[in-house]
Formats: sequence, structure tokens, C-alpha cells
Amino acid sequence: MNSTKHFTAFPMGKTKMLCAAGAALLAALAAFSLFTGKYPLTFEGMLRGDAMQLRVFWTLRAGRTAVGVLGGFALGVAGYVYQTVFRNPLASPDVIGVSSGASAGAAAGILFLSGAAAVTFSAFAGALAAVCLALALSALDRTGRDSTIVLAGIAVHSLAQTVLMCLKLTADPERELASIEYWIMGSLNGISGYSIGGNLLLCLFCLAALFLLRRQILLLSAEEGEARMLGVPVGRMRLLVLLAATLAVACVVSLSGLISFVGLLAPHGARLLLKRDSAGTMLLGGLLGGILLTGADILARSAAATELPVSIFTSLLGAPFLIYLIIRGRQRA
Amino acid sequence: MSFFTVSGLTAGYGGAPVVNGVSFEVEAGSLLGILGANGSGKTTLLKAVCGILPHEGSCALETENLEKAVLEELPPRRLARLCGYIPQRSGISIDISVLEAVLMGFNPRLKLLEYPSREMKEQAREALQAVGLGGREEENYQHLSEGQKQLCILARTLAAGGRLLLLDEPESALDFRYRYRVLELLKGWLRNGDRAGLAALHDPALALNYCDCLLLLAGGEVRSLLRPGSDSLGKMEAGLSELYGPVSLRRCQNRSGREQLVMLKEEEGRQL
Repeated sequence: MNSTKHFTAFPMGKTKMLCAAGAALLAALAAFSLFTGKYPLTFEGMLRGDAMQLRVFWTLRAGRTAVGVLGGFALGVAGYVYQTVFRNPLASPDVIGVSSGASAGAAAGILFLSGAAAVTFSAFAGALAAVCLALALSALDRTGRDSTIVLAGIAVHSLAQTVLMCLKLTADPERELASIEYWIMGSLNGISGYSIGGNLLLCLFCLAALFLLRRQILLLSAEEGEARMLGVPVGRMRLLVLLAATLAVACVVSLSGLISFVGLLAPHGARLLLKRDSAGTMLLGGLLGGILLTGADILARSAAATELPVSIFTSLLGAPFLIYLIIRGRQRA
Repeated sequence: MSFFTVSGLTAGYGGAPVVNGVSFEVEAGSLLGILGANGSGKTTLLKAVCGILPHEGSCALETENLEKAVLEELPPRRLARLCGYIPQRSGISIDISVLEAVLMGFNPRLKLLEYPSREMKEQAREALQAVGLGGREEENYQHLSEGQKQLCILARTLAAGGRLLLLDEPESALDFRYRYRVLELLKGWLRNGDRAGLAALHDPALALNYCDCLLLLAGGEVRSLLRPGSDSLGKMEAGLSELYGPVSLRRCQNRSGREQLVMLKEEEGRQL
């Protein structure tokens, strides 16, 4: 019995060590991201007070890096919350239609409004509408099964896709359709340092709420009846937690467009690395998400002469990492 | 009035009721066993009592200040503090340690953002020791066998306290030795103060020897109520034969002279 102990016991220091390593890597990538791009920035130049360099730094790089770091973090944490609460490894905020709602909103913004900020706002409104609709639909089912939320989400998702399709049909194919397609592909390009404050603040607020409720999130992973008999007001708590996670994601995707794979991969990565569930796993999932998105964004702006969609690289970096972790997990087991 | 009273309980899953008009009482300090064939409504009855399933009828439990609390009217946290529930299989689906699984039981006593105290951790360790999982606190709950998981959940419920314990086939995944151990633990827990237990059981031998009272359930209705301590063998045989087909009972003594009831299967179709 003692021999098996070594394999199943949780080493307590591992979580802290990996989180520290993840945070360090994320900080390094963020610093690298600040100084990578078309316009060369130098430490000396900025210390000298070179006006052009400082402007590029504050309007372009700082905002873009902040969205990469915080956005990736939010996607990772939200993915962890969704997978835990739904007890389903494939769950992610996309399941309840937040991304498709944001896409439809952005398309409407591109067609009927003008300016990047208006498109962001419209995308956020679309995401919010989709989420509220999905949660309201699920509230109609009195039994409160968690599968109801997923089903409602799928319905809202396809509804939003239909709206998006209709909007695309009315779009002028030369300019508007291209912008819609480009927005949907997702990119951190064009995020300016001045217009993102509200989104980032709300995102931070939601993330803080999720970390405060970390014990309840783990309790929700028990079955409905069991969680209730452990004193969790299941319906309300699940709604609150999902709303916070989804709002955090809505803040990000309304700025960036669709970002594939981060919300799915980052939590799995954290779980496969730590082999346990705790607030530390949620934190590591967030850090991995930040690393993945920031790294992918650096590649997206430096791999080719033109900006590439960031999702290409999140998938390109993420898929092999996930495959590696799965193979490693199998061999250990 | 008894310690715990259930009156006119009717519950189901949308269609025809699975449990129909069940009423019974449980005295303080006693264990009521629920016996019935598969699908007779044992689990449904327990789920209705603890309010997981919507139902008609009511359940009243005596509280600390000797008042009657109607379970249906209690807010979830208060209900969870009064009643512990052990499902057939715990739904914990994440990789947490055995100790953390036990600590989940303290949630009804903690504020929303509060964390288990040092004393609670100590109590959790003691409970794990009592169920025979001492020294395995840091292991992954998911790596335990089904029986060990049941023991862990039992430790969680015993550590959390409460006045009424609802157990859904707590013995189903346990070996011979642990079946008796769990029932001994349960009896020990019940002896300490104003508490009562309701256990759906599959093993009639266990039920006959440990329960103060047996509720025989068939088709969602109470067929008979047996008291193994005082009822005649004939009455109990008749009741149990209704559920399980022809059976007979014997009183035997083990080597230390302790009397046990043993149930034997009789040939089908034979007159008793």
C-alpha cells in the first residue's frame, strides 16, 4: 500500500512551483511583446523620452499586451470554471454562445455603426445578449438540470450564427464583409491603449469574483443533489459563477474577435500538469491561457509581413502541447 | 411526537409517482432501514425526504430547541446543517485529495468565502481514521476504490454532524468486513445524542441485525413495518417474503454468543 502512495499523493509544493514558473514565463512574454512589432522600440529611446516611441508604446503595445495577458488569463480561468461546473471536459464559454453572440454583435456594429470602439461595444452587447438569453431560457426549466444550460446555449449559438449569416448577406462584399470575416478570425491588432480600460476593468472584477468563489466552484462539481445537501444554493451559485466567467470572456472577445482553443486547452494543460483540482489549478489555467495568447500574438505580428489571425497560432502552439500532455499522462498512468 | 416524522410523501420523476403516500416515524437514536426490491422507490424516497426531488407531503425533524422543523420550509444551508445525505455514488468528478473531499462536508457551517478551520481539518482526519482511511488524507479521491469512496463520503457526513442522516445503500460497494464496520460506526454515531438515521439497504442480514425498525417498500408503498428486536420470526418472514420471494429466518449465535438473524432463501413456489 505504501508503494502506491507515491503515485497518488499530491505533492504540495508542485502547485506553487508551477504557478511561479508560469507567472515568470508570462511576465517575460509580456515584456517581449511590449518590444516586438513593426516599429522598433528600445529601452534607451524610451528613457530618453523619444515622443514617437512613447506614443507607440502607450497607444499600441501596452494595450495589445494587456489584452493578450489578461485576455488569455480570463479565457483560461473561464474554461476551467465551465469544465468544472458542467463536469464536462469539452465545456467552454463558447458552449453558451458567447463567442457567436459577440460575432453577430460585431457584424452589426461593422454594418450600422462606425469606429472601432462602437464595434467593440456592439460585440460586447451581442455577447451579453446571447448569454442572458441562454441563461433565461435555461431558467424556464424548473428541474434545474445543468444540461439545460448547455442545450439552451446551443440553441442561442445557432440563433446567433443565423443572425450573423443574415448580416453577412446584407454586407457589401468588398469592404464590410471582409471586415466581418477579419474580425471573426480574431486578432489583437488594432487594440488601442485608450479604448480598452472599461473592458479590462470589468474583466478583472469578474476574475476576482471567481477567485473569491473558488471553494464554491469546486463544490459545484459534485452532483446537483449532493451539492445541495452540502449547503450550496446550486441554481443561484451556478448562475452567478457562469455569469462571471462568461462576462470575463465577453470583455475579451469583444476586443479581439474569436480566439480558438485557449479556453479549452489552458485548463486541461493545468490539470494535466498538476493532476489535481484546486484554486491553484484555476490560477495555472489562467497563466497558461495568458502565455498561449501572448505568445501567439507575438508570432501573429512577427511571423509574416502582414498581421495574421491570432487563432492560427493559438491552435498551432496549443494542439501539440495538448497532444504532448495527453501522451505524457497516458505513460504515467 | 417522534423525533422524525414523514407524512404522506408522494414523489416521482414527472410521470406516475414512484413513491406513493409513504408515512412513518423514527425515534431519536434509532436507525430505520428501508428494504425493497430494485426499483421499489428506496432512492426516490430518500431524495424526496432531503428535498432533492420535488414532492407532496411533509417531513418534520426535531431541532436543538425541541421544536419541529419542516424540512421543506428550511433554507438550503440550514437544511444541510441538519441533514447529511450519502448518495449511492458520490458525484465528485474532480481530482481532489481525500481530506478535501471530507472537508466539503463543513460547507454548510462556513460563510461563503470562509475556509475550513484547523479544528475542522482535525475533525476530518479523525473521521477518516474512524472509517479506516487514516493516513491516506493526501491521496487523490479519484484513485480510491468504489468502496473506499463510500467510506470517505461516510467520513464526510459523520464529521459534518447534523441530526438526521440519509444513506442510500451505503454498503453496496463494501466487502463483508466493512459492511459491518460501517453499520457499527453508524450505530455509534446514533448513540451520541439526538440523532436518527434512514438507510436504504440491499443486504437483509445487515438490516435485520442493525436497524431498530425496517420499512418494507414495494411498488412505492409501505408494505409493512418490522421491528427485528421484538417481532416474531413468522411476521418478519411473511413481510420479507413479499419482497424477496420465499425466505425463512433463523436465530443463530456466533462464537461469542451474540445472536444474529440469518435469512435463508427458500425454493420458489413452495408453501411456507
